[in-house]
Amino acid sequence: MGSVSLEGVSKSFGAIKVIHGADLDIQDGEFVVFVGPSGCGKSTLLRMIAGLESISHGSLRIGDRLVTDVEPGDRGISMVFQSYALYPHMDVTENLSFGLRMNGNKAADTSERVRGAASVLQLDSLLARLPKQLSGGQRQRVAIGRSIVRKPQVFLFDEPLSNLDAELRVQMRVEIARLHHELGATMIYVTHDQTEAMTLADRIVVLRAGHIEQVGTPLALYTDPDNQFVAGFIGSPRMNFLTGEARGHVDGRQAVVLSGQGDAVVEVALSQPLPSGTPVSLGLRPEHAQVGSPGPGTFTTTIDVVEYLGATSYLYSGTTTKEPLIVARQGVHTDRAGDQVVVGVPPDKAILFAADGTRLR
Amino acid sequence: MRQRTQTAYGFLSPYLLIFAIFWLWPIIHSFYLSFLSTRRQPWSFNPGMTWGRLTQDPAFYNALWNTLKILAIQVPVMLTLATLLAVLLNSTLLRARGLIRFAFFAPVVIGEAAYAAVFRLMFNDEFGIVNKTLEGIGLDAVSWFSNPTAAMSLIIIAVTWRWVGYNAIIILSGLQSIPQDVYEAATLDRVSPRQQFLYITLPLLKPVIVFCLVLSVIGSMQLFAEPYLITNLGGPGGATETLGLYLYKQAFLNLNFGYASAIAYTIAALAVSISILNLWLGRERS
Amino acid sequence: MKSRSRTVLLRSLALHAVIVPLALLWLLPIWMMIVFASMEDSAIFSAEVQLWPGDRFIENFHELQAELDFVRTIVVSVVVAVIYTAASVVLTSMAGWALARYRFHGRGLVVSIILGTMTLPYFVVVIPQFIMVARDFGLSNTWIALIVPPLFNSLGVLFMRQAFTMMPADLFDAARIDGVSEWQIFRHVALPLARPMLAALSIILFLHSWNNYLWPLLISNDRSMMTAPVALGSLFGLLDVSWGGVMVGSVLLTAPMLVVFIFMQRFFMAGITAGAVK
Repeated sequence: MGSVSLEGVSKSFGAIKVIHGADLDIQDGEFVVFVGPSGCGKSTLLRMIAGLESISHGSLRIGDRLVTDVEPGDRGISMVFQSYALYPHMDVTENLSFGLRMNGNKAADTSERVRGAASVLQLDSLLARLPKQLSGGQRQRVAIGRSIVRKPQVFLFDEPLSNLDAELRVQMRVEIARLHHELGATMIYVTHDQTEAMTLADRIVVLRAGHIEQVGTPLALYTDPDNQFVAGFIGSPRMNFLTGEARGHVDGRQAVVLSGQGDAVVEVALSQPLPSGTPVSLGLRPEHAQVGSPGPGTFTTTIDVVEYLGATSYLYSGTTTKEPLIVARQGVHTDRAGDQVVVGVPPDKAILFAADGTRLR
Repeated sequence: MRQRTQTAYGFLSPYLLIFAIFWLWPIIHSFYLSFLSTRRQPWSFNPGMTWGRLTQDPAFYNALWNTLKILAIQVPVMLTLATLLAVLLNSTLLRARGLIRFAFFAPVVIGEAAYAAVFRLMFNDEFGIVNKTLEGIGLDAVSWFSNPTAAMSLIIIAVTWRWVGYNAIIILSGLQSIPQDVYEAATLDRVSPRQQFLYITLPLLKPVIVFCLVLSVIGSMQLFAEPYLITNLGGPGGATETLGLYLYKQAFLNLNFGYASAIAYTIAALAVSISILNLWLGRERS
Repeated sequence: MKSRSRTVLLRSLALHAVIVPLALLWLLPIWMMIVFASMEDSAIFSAEVQLWPGDRFIENFHELQAELDFVRTIVVSVVVAVIYTAASVVLTSMAGWALARYRFHGRGLVVSIILGTMTLPYFVVVIPQFIMVARDFGLSNTWIALIVPPLFNSLGVLFMRQAFTMMPADLFDAARIDGVSEWQIFRHVALPLARPMLAALSIILFLHSWNNYLWPLLISNDRSMMTAPVALGSLFGLLDVSWGGVMVGSVLLTAPMLVVFIFMQRFFMAGITAGAVK
């Protein structure tokens, strides 16, 4: 029904390729989020699914229909834009019903659908207002309402919350989650906000420079990233990458010397031994770094800056070096800039990457 | 954006149809005509009667000379005036802004026939208000319609009166697009208002002024209605006969379409080359 | 502070000392139009300077009307300008929409044609236009001849293209997703949003047609199909003409445009500066 499948979908503008053969299968009713740095092609890919951008190569199916060359209006999709894209000269009712009216939908059915969407989104009292008379959150709800009245198989969202202030964003996020639950429709959602991605998604698609880097559940991406890019992109503050060199391999554990951190030695689980001297990068999330007392697998560093966030503090060190380090500390502490702390690397939390960024398992 | 060639041409077709019939075909046709002798039927290929004649026709040279004179005097005077006017209108010190805008911008909406009539009366040799004012302050009356130089001045005055506001509007919009904080920063850096005008305003206005210059050059090259209506078809004795007017006479009074087409292409070539020269002078430093 | 406010005052005075007399000088021809239109010819051509309107406006109007049925020519001008404006707005906004909102083969060529004709003197086309319309088609003194050939207009297309380009693209994409056809998007989304720009363009086009001189001069020589400016101009060379009457004609041609200018200055300015913005 509302499944979406991309097969070798790519796009180029002249000689410039912006999407490189994307393969992706989205299940009916699934909530999939595209994330990636700006310019990675996530919006372009969404607009290609919508039919607003043409697909240069490959094929796109929605449900069991091949829609690669089908006009946007005939794909059974709807879309919510970052700018809301409400027609400024139409009131809320007209905005909600415009598409249906233009396509000769029966007036009774149209007003029925408008009423339905309005009540789901609590827009009933706003129906006669123009977009400029609405708050940002209300506009966003109208935009969502406009996509509901189409009764699409697939909802597309292009950074729908990034024009809202922080509080409203949380509120609307919850509302979208509720809507997904109620409608049970397939939703594809583009964002650059990790929290949105982590909280909303059944699966996250991480893109970089037009390539799909990894597809997986939020937890899988967080705990088991396929490469250094995904590891660095998912999680905030971002993962620390410590330069190291492989040493001996004993009992499925690879010894790594952290050359940037006083040659501390950490033994990380690894099935394939690495030749001694192989340069590696050791990934360690700030929340996994442990402040404690000296011992094996620990090193000492000087704090440059401390950010107190209440329950958590972030300690920054090496901020001016090639190897900055962030340590998250739970609870209330009195660390100050200039203090020396001992940082421990829990071996079962650290992961290793090869010099080219691929994950070493 | 998807490529939608068919849809696009659907929207463009009525416009392009008009273009093809009333512009594209005439452009080609008049080029062809410029090689035909059209003095008598049947028309025959004879560039000597058109392009050949052009090189040795004193009346053509007179019209060309007159046009270039207007171009050389009227355009710089008008654009300088328009720039000053725009700067004054943009000044926060100005009061009665509405009246002053009206005074300079109103001529823009007045048609050639209407203003030609009033200029004829105001500059009447014997009874006009201009000459009577000149006499009143102890100067000699000027024979605006019988003295060649005076007649040329009259055309220049009339055209300037009509078009200065038009150019000032364009320059004013250019001025208003200069961000105010540039001036605030300059003031804090102790740059005087005069220096601000010379080193900030003028350079930033350059593209707009060049645009006005190109428009004015093209306009002057086509000057027709003023000498036709004010100085009675380019009088006295051809002293205000412009290229446009000469072309009109050849084409529509003598019905010598071939020769007139050659004049038309000469005007076009001049206009295009002067415009390109202007654009080249005003090009952005890269 | 005190010295600063004094310099400001002095500069303000100097500014007004220059610009106010100049403005009055610029207003003089318009004022004199009214003065002449309301005086007898003997007063226009008298030794005394007359600066105040007289009371002969109606009489002068009757003289003008007797000379060339001026009301009829005004009607011709209005009909021509109204139809021209409506047709040109439709053509140029459709073309502007296509150039602003579609990617298509030949787009660059169409744009360069439009920019190119802007710098091309009208004289290059007017002769064959005349031969075609007057001689080949025999359409002299017809509505079609007065209205259709001037319809090609590059400024209008550039203006509307600019207007549509500045609208957020998402609006049109949202409509496409809703299954709205391209024509409906143009008609029901783009055009209503362009209303201020359409008003500005209409004013400019109307003015353009109202004041157009050369083409109507060539194509209509029959009194019944003359536009008002051409009819008025035809009186200038005559020996025995009522100049008071001519000035009434000037006033009647000018006054409506001045009123439009005063009340719609904003649109007017937008129309004029349109060409300057790329």
